[in-house]
Amino acid sequence: MVTGMGTVNALATDTGRFAEALRRGESGIGPISLFDTAEFRTHNGAQVKNFLPRAAIPAEFSLKRMSRSDLFALASTLQALKQARLDPIPEDLHKEMGVVIGGGAGGLLEAEAFFANYLRRGGRSARFSHLAPVCCASTANHLATKFDLWGPKTTLMTACSSGATAIGLGRDLIRTSAARAMIVGGTEPLCRLTFASFNALQAVDPGYCRPFSGNRAGLTLGEAAGILILESLTSALERGTPILGEILGYGVTCDSHHMTAPDIGASGAARAMRAALTDAGLAPEEIDYINAHGTATPLNDLMETRAIKEVFGPRAWKIPVSSTKSMHGHTLGASGALEAVVALLAITEGFIPPTIHHETPDPECDLDYVTTGARPDAPEIVLSNSFAFGGNNTTVIFGRYRGAGGRRG
Amino acid sequence: MDRRVVITGIGMVTPLGAGKEAFAQALWQGETGIREITAFPTEGLASHLGAEVRAFEPRDFISVKNLRKMDRLSAMTTASVRMALDDAGLRIDPINRDRIGIVMGTAFGNTEHKVLTARVLFTEGPGMVSPIHVPNTVMNAPAGHASIEMGFRGVNTTVNHQAVSAETAIAYGAMEIRRGAADVIFAGGGDILSPFFYETLTRFRAVSPVNGGAEGARPFDRLRNGPVAGEGCGIVCLEAAELARERGAVPYAEVTGWGLASSPTPPTAWPIDPRGFSLALERALTMAGAVPAEIDLIQAAANGGRDLDAMEAAAYERLFGGRANPLITSLKGATGETFASGGIRAAALALSLREGIVPQVVGLNEPLVPLPFVIGASVNQPVRRGLLSGISYGGTYACLVFERRDP
Repeated sequence: MVTGMGTVNALATDTGRFAEALRRGESGIGPISLFDTAEFRTHNGAQVKNFLPRAAIPAEFSLKRMSRSDLFALASTLQALKQARLDPIPEDLHKEMGVVIGGGAGGLLEAEAFFANYLRRGGRSARFSHLAPVCCASTANHLATKFDLWGPKTTLMTACSSGATAIGLGRDLIRTSAARAMIVGGTEPLCRLTFASFNALQAVDPGYCRPFSGNRAGLTLGEAAGILILESLTSALERGTPILGEILGYGVTCDSHHMTAPDIGASGAARAMRAALTDAGLAPEEIDYINAHGTATPLNDLMETRAIKEVFGPRAWKIPVSSTKSMHGHTLGASGALEAVVALLAITEGFIPPTIHHETPDPECDLDYVTTGARPDAPEIVLSNSFAFGGNNTTVIFGRYRGAGGRRG
Repeated sequence: MDRRVVITGIGMVTPLGAGKEAFAQALWQGETGIREITAFPTEGLASHLGAEVRAFEPRDFISVKNLRKMDRLSAMTTASVRMALDDAGLRIDPINRDRIGIVMGTAFGNTEHKVLTARVLFTEGPGMVSPIHVPNTVMNAPAGHASIEMGFRGVNTTVNHQAVSAETAIAYGAMEIRRGAADVIFAGGGDILSPFFYETLTRFRAVSPVNGGAEGARPFDRLRNGPVAGEGCGIVCLEAAELARERGAVPYAEVTGWGLASSPTPPTAWPIDPRGFSLALERALTMAGAVPAEIDLIQAAANGGRDLDAMEAAAYERLFGGRANPLITSLKGATGETFASGGIRAAALALSLREGIVPQVVGLNEPLVPLPFVIGASVNQPVRRGLLSGISYGGTYACLVFERRDP
């Protein structure tokens, strides 16, 4: 069960305003001010704006030795705990509550500043303590320590599917009684190394990303955190907290094809969706909306469209499919978790978020990409795809909670 | 689905050698892989020792075409997976490969290419960053490369949580098989040494000699003064028990329990309070349906660190104190602290269960507490239940129980 969620991203720094921005089809993409982009192929990104850590995070929490991505995650977790009525966390839950974070660049932004200094001065005077939060594990460690959690704690790093896989693992840890409640999600900062890497791969659109559009030319990098509170049904009911939705199933597969290019045969992606459907005990007909990976690289969008057609058959053309990356950018390690928040907002707020910047048709990408603005709807079951470097594919399926004691969000 | 999970194969590339024969031989004879670092200069640093992988020829295990694209950690991982697959006697076919996956653990990933990319970016500019190196800078590169080389198309995940990455990966892999999401998972972990990474460890005062004295790894010893950094990779082949039985495989052991826990700890400090680790131990034993007296051997996390070893020993005294006396060993005097070390240690534990030989703690002379540590020489003793302890700085714990299943 999902009982809380929180986010910091380029569109908003809370879920309420995030839902509004998604509904309005706003773009969070613009010039990056976090670092100098002069020498790069693109100067745009989906940078988090108006985020003041000390304003978002109460004074009782020390912000020492926390990276930008740690701070995104902490702010998002505070929102999620509040919504889940776990602020404060009850005494008896501390031992049985854990955290799984999907990582990305971790504290690389801060490490870069250190490293540039290290190279200039030959290492003699560089302060190595600045590297303390460089590992992705820093986020989960900070959360567990700050909220006094004694349950399972880990960090997954499967590039762009990290956040989605973290949600799946969290679900399994609860299902196997290793925990009663879990903080799960992902966090990702913009940083020069990531920016340089995607520029080197020529995977970025110099302007803005145009998912599924005929003239798409690459992704736009973004930064964000997306955090969910997962809880066993018993625990949620006992505490009498509203249930926002549930994780119905997830599937993880590997292309076994190429490190950075997706398998255009679409087998890995199709198998991930099927594995998630099987895990959820659902038929393809029951999916109401697909939140696509939709990076806007020429290959991904074609591959994903093919995979959806393979899994859903003739019904593929009838299911709304949108890539909200057109608004919040590709947030890599956070994307699966951020888009989980999107999927749950679609369910709780009753709308299908659009794909913006769809400018020209592509004869091979001919599904219903929701290109003319958000659509009022009442999706019950939403499928979310996340595909990654290394050929890692993760699909998570979210559903409205329909059992006794549940309510529409 | 709630299937049983067994270990049917092991593979490793370690400072003690590549492959289980070389590894076991060196381990049981009490050899150490710790020497002066030769791969890069250590002048001006406070430490000079390391456990480097020396005898390893990747071409013996990996196709030339794929090897060209791999970094060193990916090559060690892929070779370890290949060895574990052969050891398990598994054959990959177009049907089963969709149900075979990898859950890899790494604490730092390919630090070599990450630093290289950063160096190019900051000295030569973004235009000079090589797209060839980019895929190898991500933590999941080893699992990705290995899956491409081996043709595995099932679950593929990388755990990146410091010194318990590999133990957590094994628990995660076992969970995936247990719930029916996969039939076979190659799980474990590895890390490599590289110049900048090694320098960082010394600057953080994370490696011997932390408080002076002679440099060296002395797990559980009164004179310990920090771990010695090592590198290597270890992988175990986890398989659904019923499938292993059907194809007549003889498992090393069944993975009967695991326990994961956390405790509030400063991010880069080792925990001092044993309560978090004790929770993980209790959870693993409970899942395994075992009481402390039924544990015959502990493959400990101790690396010669002042806080880690004291805390770990205290937890064992509390859990086993007087009533039970499992033998306790640690590999890290021989292999160094390889960070995502749980794969190598799981393989060593599997070997002890099968062969009834328990390796000594290299570097241990004066135990810090009177517990049954294996000192001086390996001992021959049947082991039915073994415990693999995983502890990380930052306060994260992952423990596993392996149980021998006689055919």
